[in-house]
Amino acid sequence: MIAALAGFFLWRGRILTDDTQESGKKILRFNGFERFAHWMTATCFIILSLSGLNYIFGKRLLMPLIGPEAFGALAQWAKYSHVYLAWPFMLGVVIMVGLWLKDNIPNRIDWAWIKAGGGFIGHGHPHAERFNAGQKGVFWMVAGFGAAMGVTGLMMLFPFALLDINGMQVMQVIHSLIGVVFIVGILAHIYIGTLGMKGAYDAMGSGEVDLAWARAHHDLWVEEQQAKTASGPQFTGRHPAPAE
Amino acid sequence: MKAFAAAIIAAIALGVLAMYALTSNQTFAYQAFATSGARVSEPGVNLVGPKWNGLPVLGEANDAAHGKAEGEASHPKRS
Repeated sequence: MIAALAGFFLWRGRILTDDTQESGKKILRFNGFERFAHWMTATCFIILSLSGLNYIFGKRLLMPLIGPEAFGALAQWAKYSHVYLAWPFMLGVVIMVGLWLKDNIPNRIDWAWIKAGGGFIGHGHPHAERFNAGQKGVFWMVAGFGAAMGVTGLMMLFPFALLDINGMQVMQVIHSLIGVVFIVGILAHIYIGTLGMKGAYDAMGSGEVDLAWARAHHDLWVEEQQAKTASGPQFTGRHPAPAE
Repeated sequence: MKAFAAAIIAAIALGVLAMYALTSNQTFAYQAFATSGARVSEPGVNLVGPKWNGLPVLGEANDAAHGKAEGEASHPKRS
């Protein structure tokens, strides 16, 4: 996946935003609590990913490099972190679903966004509300895979509570397979949120993004926000309805 | 940055809480899943005895639990 992302970056380059008169002005994209929930989940996910991969590949890939004693200590701490940080991760997923569910319901605008290539192909920026179809895909992936990883993980964390040994083995296989796909999906999310798109990281970094960036990537959301704000410019009707 | 720092602190705090909660309810496998037939990981009473060294060869290490093995020692195949 990393190689695929590197190839995409070499082909597409960084997605940029043209400067406009609105450049330099800021608009709040995620408040403090939203960023808190995101980063708690994200940091736990990274540790869960690495410790989870260590369960499967560590003995064959890592132990020959660092030796059995170092690997033994590392694997033990990885196991602790995997079992204990699963809880803030699950809580974070629940919070994020609660925060962003209403903005992630698929609609016709998303279909238009997908048909336009989402801005990845070419240099245009299709219309989008607070979250575009790609971001909605990430949201539902995190919600679905997060729930699946939580349930299968709990079945292993509490052995024989609900399942017998065969059931737990099935849970382990499902947990591992979804985990690998989950990591691949989140790698793509990290890419587009940092290296792949200029200005995207600010949304989760400081919480504020450049107004020109927001207008380019989430024009319908900007208009909605400005319509709510008495001091901001009102809806201009510059864009046709995206579903038309 | 404040949100990020708070997230890290919260993750660690919740992890520690989870550790105490899980550890307080944890029992050894031989306690939780003991049967009258076989007990696993109960030192001194289990099938392999307290001095089992993990080697797959019957010999002196198992004498305390099973007594001296008689006859020719078997040689289990390694898979």
